[in-house]
Amino acid sequence: MRKPLNWPPDFEQLVEEHQSMVFSLAWRMTGDRGLAEELAQDVLLELDRNLARMKSPEHVRFWLRQVTVHRSADALRRKQTKAASLGTDVWVELEERHVLVEPIDESDESPLGRRIEDLMAGLPESQRAALVLRYQEELTPEEIAVTLQSPLATVKSQLQRGLKLLRARANEYLKEYVRGT
Amino acid sequence: MEHREIGEQENGQELAEFERKLRIAMQRREAPLGMKQRVLARARERRQAQHGRWWMVQRIAASALLATIFGGIAVYKQVQERALERKRGEEARDQVMTALRITHKTLDHVNERLADNSKSTLGFQTFR
Repeated sequence: MRKPLNWPPDFEQLVEEHQSMVFSLAWRMTGDRGLAEELAQDVLLELDRNLARMKSPEHVRFWLRQVTVHRSADALRRKQTKAASLGTDVWVELEERHVLVEPIDESDESPLGRRIEDLMAGLPESQRAALVLRYQEELTPEEIAVTLQSPLATVKSQLQRGLKLLRARANEYLKEYVRGT
Repeated sequence: MEHREIGEQENGQELAEFERKLRIAMQRREAPLGMKQRVLARARERRQAQHGRWWMVQRIAASALLATIFGGIAVYKQVQERALERKRGEEARDQVMTALRITHKTLDHVNERLADNSKSTLGFQTFR
């Protein structure tokens, strides 16, 4: 495969282009905004280290999605292990600190949009990864299967189950929201 | 049967509507302010550290190369000197051997002459 003419581009340009994608993926995978920023920074730095191996813009996008999903899953597992060994207080404190990093402007968001990270965080890891790639990144089930290195049938089943579970939880939340307003 | 079909249809519509809402809700979030600068600063730091390491490796490699070259030259000179000394030694030995051979021949010659003289002197005495 031939490389595009002005390839590889400036690292700064790539960060500018992909930072929101990487950050959003990490946030929706981990449910923790602070941890997501750390992960996003690490992934982008790893891209800098591997820039010479990148063949095209599509390759960069694919690589970033794959590495972000895997890194987020690893971080979640580490977090769960630590929480289990230390007790949950430490993580509650850390999460509060992370959330306080920067307030989000929620004024023009739907109720679902405001709570989507929390709702996603309640799903099993594999379903969450499939749903984020499907609805945030607009990937087809085939592309998700390649990114997650899973069989297509598994991905389709994860999407179906995840969507059902998310819908049930979103409905519960929306009912509470309507009652609360 | 019709009720079931209608129910399935409604359910499908609801699901499609939920998917539509989900797509909107799952728009990408803006990255935190300053994240790009933080990433670029870390990348710069890493490059500088890497450059420093590379510079150190280059210096060590250059030093090793120079040490090898100078060591090689010193060893070569030593070997050359030893070869020269050995050659000189061999030459000196050859000269000594030649001198000894000449001396040996001269002594043989003198010895022969002396033996001849002794024979002639003895014959003269016998004749008298």
